[in-house]
Amino acid sequence: MLQITLAQMRRSAGRLTAAGIAIVIGTAFVAATLLAGAVITRTVNDSIAARYADADLVIGATTDTPITDVGALEAIDGVTAAAPVNGTSLGLTVGNRTVYQLTIPTTDPRLMPLDVTDGAMPDGRDQVALPADVAERLDVAVGDTVAVTRDEMTDGGWQQITEQPVVVGLLDDPYGAYAQSQGAAVLDADTFLDWEAASWGTERGATEVSVALDPGADVAAVQAALAAEIGGTTSTDDARWVVETDVRASEVAASFTGDQDLMFLVFVLTFAAIALVVAGLVIANTFQVLVAQRTRTLALLRCVGADKAQVGRGVLTEAAILGAIASAAGVLLGVLLGQSALWIAHAMDVAVPLPDTIALTWQVIVIPMVVGVLVTVGAALVPARVATRVAPLAALRPADGPSVSRRAGRVRLVLSLLATVFGFALLAGGALLGTIAQEPTVGLLAGIAGGASSFIGVAVGAVFWLPKVTSLAGRLVGTSGPTARLAAANTLRNPRRTATTSTALLIGVTLVAMMSTGAASARASLTEALDEQYPVDVVVSSTFYDDAGVPTALPDELRAEVATAEGVSSVADLANVTLESPDFALDEDGAWVPADSADAVSPWTLDILAVDPAAARAVMNAPGDLAGLEAGTVVLGSWFADGLELSAGDTMALSGPGGTESFTVAVVDDPYASYLAWEDAAAAEPGLVANGMYVSLSDAADPNAAVGAIQFAVADADEPAQVTGAVVERAMFDQLIDTLLGIVVGLLAVAVVIALIGVANTLSLSVIERRKESATLRAIGLSKAQLRGMLAIEGLLIAGVGAVLGVALGLVYGWSGAAAALGVMGDVTLSVPWRDVALVLLVALVAGLVASVAPARTALKASPVEALAAD
Amino acid sequence: MDTTVFVPVNDTDTPADGRLAVRARGLTKTYGTGEAQVRALDGVDVDFAEGRFTAIMGPSGSGKSTLMHLLAGLDTATSGQAFLGTTEITGLGDKALTRLRRDRVGFVFQQFNLLPMFSARDNITLPLELAGAKVDHVWFDTLVRTLGLEQRLEHRPSELSGGQQQRVAIARALIAQPEVVFADEPTGNLDSRSGAEVLSFLRRSVRELGRTIIMVTHDPAAAAYADRVILIADGRIAGEISDPTPEAVLAGLDALRSLEGPVADDGTQAGA
Ligand SMILES: Nc1ncnc2c1ncn2[C@@H]1O[C@H](COP(=O)(O)OP(=O)(O)O)[C@@H](O)[C@H]1O
Ligand SMILES: [Mg+2]
Repeated sequence: MLQITLAQMRRSAGRLTAAGIAIVIGTAFVAATLLAGAVITRTVNDSIAARYADADLVIGATTDTPITDVGALEAIDGVTAAAPVNGTSLGLTVGNRTVYQLTIPTTDPRLMPLDVTDGAMPDGRDQVALPADVAERLDVAVGDTVAVTRDEMTDGGWQQITEQPVVVGLLDDPYGAYAQSQGAAVLDADTFLDWEAASWGTERGATEVSVALDPGADVAAVQAALAAEIGGTTSTDDARWVVETDVRASEVAASFTGDQDLMFLVFVLTFAAIALVVAGLVIANTFQVLVAQRTRTLALLRCVGADKAQVGRGVLTEAAILGAIASAAGVLLGVLLGQSALWIAHAMDVAVPLPDTIALTWQVIVIPMVVGVLVTVGAALVPARVATRVAPLAALRPADGPSVSRRAGRVRLVLSLLATVFGFALLAGGALLGTIAQEPTVGLLAGIAGGASSFIGVAVGAVFWLPKVTSLAGRLVGTSGPTARLAAANTLRNPRRTATTSTALLIGVTLVAMMSTGAASARASLTEALDEQYPVDVVVSSTFYDDAGVPTALPDELRAEVATAEGVSSVADLANVTLESPDFALDEDGAWVPADSADAVSPWTLDILAVDPAAARAVMNAPGDLAGLEAGTVVLGSWFADGLELSAGDTMALSGPGGTESFTVAVVDDPYASYLAWEDAAAAEPGLVANGMYVSLSDAADPNAAVGAIQFAVADADEPAQVTGAVVERAMFDQLIDTLLGIVVGLLAVAVVIALIGVANTLSLSVIERRKESATLRAIGLSKAQLRGMLAIEGLLIAGVGAVLGVALGLVYGWSGAAAALGVMGDVTLSVPWRDVALVLLVALVAGLVASVAPARTALKASPVEALAAD
Repeated sequence: MDTTVFVPVNDTDTPADGRLAVRARGLTKTYGTGEAQVRALDGVDVDFAEGRFTAIMGPSGSGKSTLMHLLAGLDTATSGQAFLGTTEITGLGDKALTRLRRDRVGFVFQQFNLLPMFSARDNITLPLELAGAKVDHVWFDTLVRTLGLEQRLEHRPSELSGGQQQRVAIARALIAQPEVVFADEPTGNLDSRSGAEVLSFLRRSVRELGRTIIMVTHDPAAAAYADRVILIADGRIAGEISDPTPEAVLAGLDALRSLEGPVADDGTQAGA
């Protein structure tokens, strides 16, 4: 039997190859993912281990009882050097630039992971060594002074102390020991320990000490001696411990990444699973066709005595062999991809020190192999059952063309209908829960469950309705001429085959469309929420406060720079002032009460924005918020008006150092708005300075570029100022959403590619079995162009129907998901990502066309003469 | 045996009463190169008059199919010329040949070769559809009536008997009113009754509908339905029989065998 299976495989090699590629890609995905996970883990491990440099042992203690006498450890027999490995974050300031930098103490050279590239290591209280790029950012060189801010615990809390050490050395981090913190600064060990102790108010000492041993020393013996010395054990579970460096490094690494690398694996493997499901569909299709094409051979086998089980086993054996070969190729491809990625990363000089070669663990090889074989054999189960149903009699019947279109089962119809209806109901429920009941978590869970159920229903039921849709599409297309009519009729000959092929594409396209719809809806909803939250596109405000706690003025040059930055259409100066109102007061609980109330205990103040009314109205997105603002009025948001029980037209007194004035109240929608005309504010507060700006961007400008230009102008002015606003946040969200969407779509693309291979495969299989028919058509007058056109239309129909339905489903899922998740944020804007939708459709259609090229070439090889051949 | 004369000739004469539908001059076809070269046709000169039913007969491997393929423009000749009416088809490109097949030639195949997804009606009109031409309903009805397919038009091929399928195929071959219909072993896959039926339909379409039919067969009984039989052996025209009867054809074939000697016998190994 195996002989026959192998012979059949050899005969069908071409057909199996295409299906095999699907599995190759799927398993390569799995293997590459596992490799990437291993590389991440190892990179973290290596960088942690690097911190201990050449240490053999690591000693640990608690913060309350640190190792106070590190020097004493060096006296122990076999110990060469011992040094603290603690780190702390210190503020390094030069001019008005501050960098927070991890800082570690000096050690014996063998225990120091950092290299000095210029100068030397510090050797005293007033010296520091900085990572080279930090020095560059602070614009200091060896010999310059930096201000180091540290905290010291005093009776009354923490006090900030500024030291002024000189930079004595620049450092490099060749092993990536501190890659996560962009390197580390180094302080003299004594100074470091002093400052640490002062900062925590604890005893001076180290919580972790790395120990280098004499060459040839008995590690276990020294370990025991050290444990005895510190009064600890050799297990990190205890308060004080001594362990080997490797043990400690992998422990830290594990606690560091926690579940993150697992999450990464699960996340990416989900997409690998989707790709494999799609690959499974491609395989299932291929075997269906193979079994159909071999009906006569199988029947002949039955005639000469093969039993059903043998025939079925033959198909499964074939699948297992295909699966094994393809999976092996997949693992190889995955490994090559992984290694290439490392080479590219090395060539590009990425900041994180990556291993030179991938680590080939057994998991990387075995898991994809097992999964690949299981998927292939699983996909061949149904075709194998079909093979067992071939009657021996079939061998005696005239070859009737293998277009056996069996009716799919009733059970399947009912189950798929149930899953679909139930799923969509649940999906709608989820959306309602999110929007009306404001229960995003429950809503989202219901939505996911509903989405999954309905999608399974849709996919399983595809056999019933997809051919009908294709037929409809085919009839529409078919009116355009005989070629299209032939193509449409061809796609309907094997409804199951067409359905499986389209479903494979449907899965990927639906998910891509869902993601981009969800992202577009999230983007639109967030934009609306941000527009409500921020009155203007961009706000530039001073972040430096004077002694009275008032932000300092923004310099004129900076304001001029911002006003002329690319994409800025207009600006308005802004001043924050705090004024007191003699009309109101605070009670004991801080609640607002009238000033004449018996409960009044302290004065009531209002932080108010002073603007030039006309200029401000010009820059605001909703100028209505400043509708009533003019000299002599105060604009208050509804929150203030309600709290103070004021309404439009009432008066309210405000007083500042310049005197008290009475203002007419205007109430606006924006609940937290409070505005005063610039001249009135200047009268109340004579020292009024512009410490902020409202900026509006021109509609034509690219918002992200404009924000960049403003940020650049502010950074250039070297003043402590920040850039915020709806557009800034939007740019941030946009970037986040784009990045996430890019990753997800990139991962899903694998499934789409496999599905497209499936389309090509289905077409070539059909062409092979229709060889004689093609010849007949050519003989009765079908031109080469028409034959090519017919196959192109078939490809377009299969791919187009899958893609259009996928997009439609994806829109529904994306909207439901957005409604469920974003309902709490207010009105959810359901938007259609037209560009993405068009792109997906285009890719699918072009791929459908391309998929028909190779089969068309095969079909054209069939000379019309073959139509006359006997068999 | 009565009226038939067996004349071994190498040059077939034009009938006095009509124009020529198909003509071949020095038609040669070789397959393969060097040692393995096979001369399937060797300088064949032959004429087929319009409005006649001609059968091509000969032992297996004698070159019957090859001759038909070349005459129908399905395959290219190694040398020599073939004409359809006044058009020389040897040397035409694929586009021109496709148009020629579509408009001027019809085919009937041994295995019917109907499209399984189309109804009998659609199968019949397919050549016109491909050509983008209108269906002549009078002609369609005539064909369907003559071939007795009225009740079968909406059936798929799988719902038709072999004989019915072949009749649909004949209707398909005739629908575009081609100048010539070529049939290669049209009864090869049919039982004798259905075969006889199909053959009488072919003859009727020549007599009553004025068609020209060239049929390849190795069945003397089938050849007897034709107006004229061309005998072919070893890639050459070996003779012809006018108004054949089965006995005359058998005699002709026997004469061929005695001429060729044992060679014709082992020709059976080549495909029919
Ligand atoms: N495609 C081909 N390649 C090589 N030889 C061929 C091919 N077709 C036919 N022949 C050879 O040409 C000769 C004539 O074949 P054919 O015309 O099919 O004979 P017939 O139809 O009379 O049985 C035979 O010897 C056959 O083997
Ligand atoms: Mg033949």
